[in-house]
Amino acid sequence: MSSYLPCGTYHESYRDEQKWWRTPFIKGKMIVMVILLLALPYLVSGEWVSVAYTINYYILAALGVQLLIGYCGQITLGHAAFVAVGAYCSSMMILFIPWPQFILDWGLAYPISMVCAGILAGLWSVLFGLPSARVKGFYLIMTTMAAQWITVPLVITQYVSQIGGRGHYFSLPPGTIKLGPWVIDSDEKIYYFSLVLVAICLLAMGNMVRAKIGRAWVAIRDNDIAAETIGVNIVLYKLLAFFVAGFFAGIAGSFYITALSFVSPEHYEWFYSLLWVGIILIGGVGSIQGLVFGSAFVVLVFKLLEMGVLGLSGILMESYPELGFITTKIIFFKESAFGLAIMFFLIYEPNGLAYRYWQLKNYFNLWPFSYTGKGA
Amino acid sequence: MELFLQLLVTGVMLGSIYALVALGWVLIYKCSGVLNLAMGELTMIGGYVCLSLYIRFQTMMSIESAFLLSLLGTLFVGLCLGLITERLFLRKMIGEPILAVIMVTVGLSFFFKGMVFIVWDTDTQVFLPRVFPIEPFEVWGVAIGQVYFWSFIASIILMVVFVSFFKYTRWGLSMQACADDEMAALSLGVSAKFVYALAWAIAFMAAGVGGTLLGNINGLNYSVSLLGLLVLPVVVFGGLNSIPGAIVGGIVIGILQNLSGGYLDQYFPGGIKEIAPFVFMVFFLLFKPFGLWGWERIERV
Repeated sequence: MSSYLPCGTYHESYRDEQKWWRTPFIKGKMIVMVILLLALPYLVSGEWVSVAYTINYYILAALGVQLLIGYCGQITLGHAAFVAVGAYCSSMMILFIPWPQFILDWGLAYPISMVCAGILAGLWSVLFGLPSARVKGFYLIMTTMAAQWITVPLVITQYVSQIGGRGHYFSLPPGTIKLGPWVIDSDEKIYYFSLVLVAICLLAMGNMVRAKIGRAWVAIRDNDIAAETIGVNIVLYKLLAFFVAGFFAGIAGSFYITALSFVSPEHYEWFYSLLWVGIILIGGVGSIQGLVFGSAFVVLVFKLLEMGVLGLSGILMESYPELGFITTKIIFFKESAFGLAIMFFLIYEPNGLAYRYWQLKNYFNLWPFSYTGKGA
Repeated sequence: MELFLQLLVTGVMLGSIYALVALGWVLIYKCSGVLNLAMGELTMIGGYVCLSLYIRFQTMMSIESAFLLSLLGTLFVGLCLGLITERLFLRKMIGEPILAVIMVTVGLSFFFKGMVFIVWDTDTQVFLPRVFPIEPFEVWGVAIGQVYFWSFIASIILMVVFVSFFKYTRWGLSMQACADDEMAALSLGVSAKFVYALAWAIAFMAAGVGGTLLGNINGLNYSVSLLGLLVLPVVVFGGLNSIPGAIVGGIVIGILQNLSGGYLDQYFPGGIKEIAPFVFMVFFLLFKPFGLWGWERIERV
């Protein structure tokens, strides 16, 4: 979904049209954005830096959901399971593998474990994607849900958490997460690390969906029987989609242990699977921009709600002390608000925030002589 | 052998509650094609509504009549909530793609869950004084808890009521017509909107009673909504649009859950009871994706 270009701008080759940066204006916009993103920790306080890397974490985690639902049409409601697999794989490799000294010195343990986490999560995802060869729609939703129920409450809580006899969660001692010469220990470093990961993953995803694989995925999404008749190996491409989605999920899980510095099953509950699907619905299905918008929207709304409820309860506590219970129930206000947001977006703006942004962009690109009707 | 019989009987009785909730799910799917993931929250709401009514009523009258009255109250509240939900959210989603409709029900489930925990707390709450005596009675050496027994009776009665409503009344017949072929039903003067509203109202009522009974067995907390979610393996087993399938599936899943709790718990400690139906469902999907009596849809490009 590329927007209309301003008057007088045209392309002479297909290659020009497929470029990432098609006009100097877009290039300038991107450079400004990159500078702003890099300068963010100096512009805002530490609290908002953590909000920023939470947004980045949600982008990474929902990336696989966007790939499966938005590009390949395979609905998944169990993505938190694969993120959990990534997080546990990475933290257990750091904790339990007797790394040779030179690897520790060069700070390679964490990157190696991150790649392994991605691969393991991808394979785990393929395992639960296997039924997609036979079933689709609602039945596939059931199997991905089963992935969630089998992975998190059973395998991870009951068996993996018992390894090493440390109780229910593994905590990572400070200084263990080391990336080359840098020890990732402050909010700013986590933020920059997340920024690099998001940039790499979004570029990889964007290039994948405009290449041969991406076209095959979109064909499967639009009509899988028709795709099969024109020669797309649908089982192979579906499983590939599951693998890539699981890989991104593993990277996301492996990243987030830097922020938490421990892993425990409660960060990978079913709620999060649904949250990530909700993010892509709010942002826009089948659009990478939508993923970013959706994550930012959800995290910021949660943050504002939290601030609002806390501020409100401060006032309430003074005049109505019996209403003080509201502060303890912030999480439920968040859940209700999120539920309402999903429903209202689906009913009133099913194309998501990305579509609104596209409309806005076109309006300014074509202003004042829009030739495609009002506002479009 | 005694353990087996014990688990079997309790499983059948527990399964009858699942069957009741699954009946509501299947009615919604048959009539309006909505795959509802909010069923767990619907059961939870029913349980909490009944509990607060019961606490209010039991100071005024005897326990039995208070419970019956609050059960009737739950049915009424379920009816109203069902009609409101359908009107506000689901009616606008007719004809939208499957993911959109499913995610609306997911949004609904988040909304209801948040609201339930804001209004009632997250602590486990029980029906006090107990509605059903705690002493079990014995039949041929098998001890049956009175809660289980009366839940079984109540679910059977309600299932018979709903099924006969569906089969023999005018409104039920219009629901059947709509489920069979919506276009033809519309052309014969059946109001599809009315049918959808009715289906949601019935689902809310069935889930509410199911939640009340489950709350009587284990106490009310978040786990009731997880038990309500077991309706999904049930309908996958029985077939998505088959009412007998829902009933048989509910009982089978109840038995399966109890047997795995009794026999497998020593090998896989913790939680196997809740997970077993989902594991079973995955394997069942691989071999018989349309369930026992579901319609097999033939797809054309």
